[in-house]
Amino acid sequence: MTLFTKENCGKCDKIKKAFDLEKLGINIEVIKPNDPDVLAHLAWHELVDLVEKGALPILVLDDSTHINYELPVRRYLERHIASMNQ
Amino acid sequence: MTSLQETKLGPVGFQLDDATDIAVFVRSSDDDLKGWNRQRIVDALLRETMIDKDTADLVGQEVETFIRKTKIKFVSAPLIRELVNAKLIELGLEKERRMHTRLGMPVHDVKQLIMQQNKENANIPHGPEATNLTLAENIKKEFAFLNVFNQEVGDAHMAGDIHLHDLGFIDRPYCSGQSLEYIKKFGLSLPNALSLAKPARHAEVLLAHMVKFAAALQSNFAGAIGWDAVNLFFAPYLVELDDRQVKQLAQMLVFEFSQQAVARGGQAIFSDINLYWEVPDHFVDVNAIGPGGEYVENEDPATREEKPYLTYGDFEKQAQRFIWAIFQTYLEGDGAGRPFFFPKPLVHITEKFFKTPGHEEFLKLICQVASEKGNTYFVFDRGNTAKISECCRLSFKLDESDLEDAKTPWRMRYSAIQNVTINLPRLAYRAAGDDTKLMALLREQIELAVEAHLSKRAFIEQLLAAGANGPLSLLCMDHDGQGYLRMQRGSYLIGMVGLNEMIQYHIGAQLHESDEAIRFGLKIIANMKIVADKYRQQHGMHFVLEQTPAESTAYRFAKLDLEQFSEQAKDVIKGDLETNEIYYTNSTLFNIGAEMNPVERIKLEGLFHPLIEAGAITHIWLGEAQPSAESLANFVTKTFRWTKNDQVAFSPEFTSCRKCYRTARGLLDECPYCGSTDLEGITRITGYFTKLSSWNKGKLGELKDRYRNQAVFAKPASTNPAETATG
Repeated sequence: MTLFTKENCGKCDKIKKAFDLEKLGINIEVIKPNDPDVLAHLAWHELVDLVEKGALPILVLDDSTHINYELPVRRYLERHIASMNQ
Repeated sequence: MTSLQETKLGPVGFQLDDATDIAVFVRSSDDDLKGWNRQRIVDALLRETMIDKDTADLVGQEVETFIRKTKIKFVSAPLIRELVNAKLIELGLEKERRMHTRLGMPVHDVKQLIMQQNKENANIPHGPEATNLTLAENIKKEFAFLNVFNQEVGDAHMAGDIHLHDLGFIDRPYCSGQSLEYIKKFGLSLPNALSLAKPARHAEVLLAHMVKFAAALQSNFAGAIGWDAVNLFFAPYLVELDDRQVKQLAQMLVFEFSQQAVARGGQAIFSDINLYWEVPDHFVDVNAIGPGGEYVENEDPATREEKPYLTYGDFEKQAQRFIWAIFQTYLEGDGAGRPFFFPKPLVHITEKFFKTPGHEEFLKLICQVASEKGNTYFVFDRGNTAKISECCRLSFKLDESDLEDAKTPWRMRYSAIQNVTINLPRLAYRAAGDDTKLMALLREQIELAVEAHLSKRAFIEQLLAAGANGPLSLLCMDHDGQGYLRMQRGSYLIGMVGLNEMIQYHIGAQLHESDEAIRFGLKIIANMKIVADKYRQQHGMHFVLEQTPAESTAYRFAKLDLEQFSEQAKDVIKGDLETNEIYYTNSTLFNIGAEMNPVERIKLEGLFHPLIEAGAITHIWLGEAQPSAESLANFVTKTFRWTKNDQVAFSPEFTSCRKCYRTARGLLDECPYCGSTDLEGITRITGYFTKLSSWNKGKLGELKDRYRNQAVFAKPASTNPAETATG
């Protein structure tokens, strides 16, 4: 899974603080305006317009679907952790 | 000796003291013979270059001596000029030679032009007007290289590193998208016109104004002339018309634009009409302009006080009547049942479209037109985006300030000032597998494109500065307090050709062959976007990526690369090397012949579209296939919902018989009705339909390779031409 975030994104920071993303095997990609790799990666996942709208953070799942905004991402990760612990 | 045109040097003749030795007469541009006068050489050199008088005198004397020795009786002014230029080269005065050079064409080339068709643009028929256009274009191209662009940019174009589009129209911007509201409000009041027309009071008059204004705009722009929300802006004029009259108006609209092959250079106006089933949100509360250029008064006593004028939101039904009639006209085709080539109808598919009553039936109608005639362009405006589309795929995305302009919609006019395309495969040949070098070369080419745009902007601004008395007076008219051409809103297009072949050479797989290829392709386009954005900030100019239509550029680049990089290019160039019907795959499109499911093609090509702000499209070639309206409607809806694809067009093929004037489906060798072999094939070349006889070699090569999706989309229910053809 990949979590797309931005610098100075308070909601992104909240997710990063609330979860041990590394332990969950989630890569973090910080979106910077001049980084073609990240832009290409966003385009690959069809997320360019979502980022333009500021719909961060975005969590891309292993099946290439995605969840965006803090609350849905938080809920998904909580469910994911619960299922891992079962 | 043929009398040739000469504009500046003028006639020259011999000195009187030499009159007993030679009698040289000069064929001048004034169609007469003049005596020799060496001083004219000197005057021209002093007037046109920075040369000093002594050197000018020396050149004049030496040229005179040379002519005297030849004992020639008649010389032309152009020949004298070339002799002077040769002398300047001998003296090492290259800069002066360039300033003193002459523009023109060899007799052989002019003869070829007059006798044979120029196939650079399939939209230009062969005829005297077209010949005039091409001759003028050739001279303006040379002028552009000498006077507008620096040598580095010019050389890059000549070598095929980049392509500067429409060089023959160097003294005009590239294309324009606008609103009917301008002529509705201000009438047809054009600079230099013999008469002025007040705002139209009747729909037919408005249409006449629109067509005339389009022709005037074609004379001031190189390319497409697009119109926004045409059915909506006509709507206030339709209230009193019954359905038959509305249909008649729709037919007039389509026929008028499709039969404009009497305009500039015999070239039909490349016209686009943007259409909406719903009333776009940004127009719902805008006061509607009606007959006479006045706001339409609200006659409902219950609401009049609160809302004195009707808004476009009140005209949805009228707008829908008109758009329905327009598509019925497209469905019928022209007098021989062929598809109309122009105007191209672009239907905007939005979230609101799917919420507007009647959209199901309307979607079926436009899909039927797409299936039977191919005309419909589906433009997807997802979320809250809005745009004006035109040309083969160009679109102007409307930002917040543009949407603010929507309150006064006559201000909504957008132009691209120039288009520069980068030859991507060549960068891969030069990089030889080195990623870092490839990206550096890409940046260099974008910088060159920016350089070219700066030069073009400076030149156009110079022309605009002459104002109402200058060559672009129409673009300076300021009925609404600002020039018609809003330079500050102008876009500067950076296009690309051959991403597929670039990737194929660089990593060994074409875009359709591996995810790695697509991801690397995305990285290339992402890089282009980022660099263009940086230059946008640096220069305050709107540099944007566009999928270049590349009707001739894809052929030109391939041809030049086969000459200059033959070892590398021969393995990736598409088409037939033996017949020279070669091409690069256009822009970011996938291999045109790849047997891809159309859903997959739309999805994967659409990955690139959000990075290409000024317009991208996927073509689905139908060949003889004629899918049902229902299946296409389903396809279009899914494309809107589940992909990021910007625009989609479906392209069937037709054969038109010159003997019996009937039209059949597919590209045939024999007329299914009369057996004649005197036929004309018709299909989409880039963004528009046209006759195959006008196509260049590269496009003919591409046509042979096109994967026609016939296995996916059903053929017509009956193969009996009498039932399926449209004659």
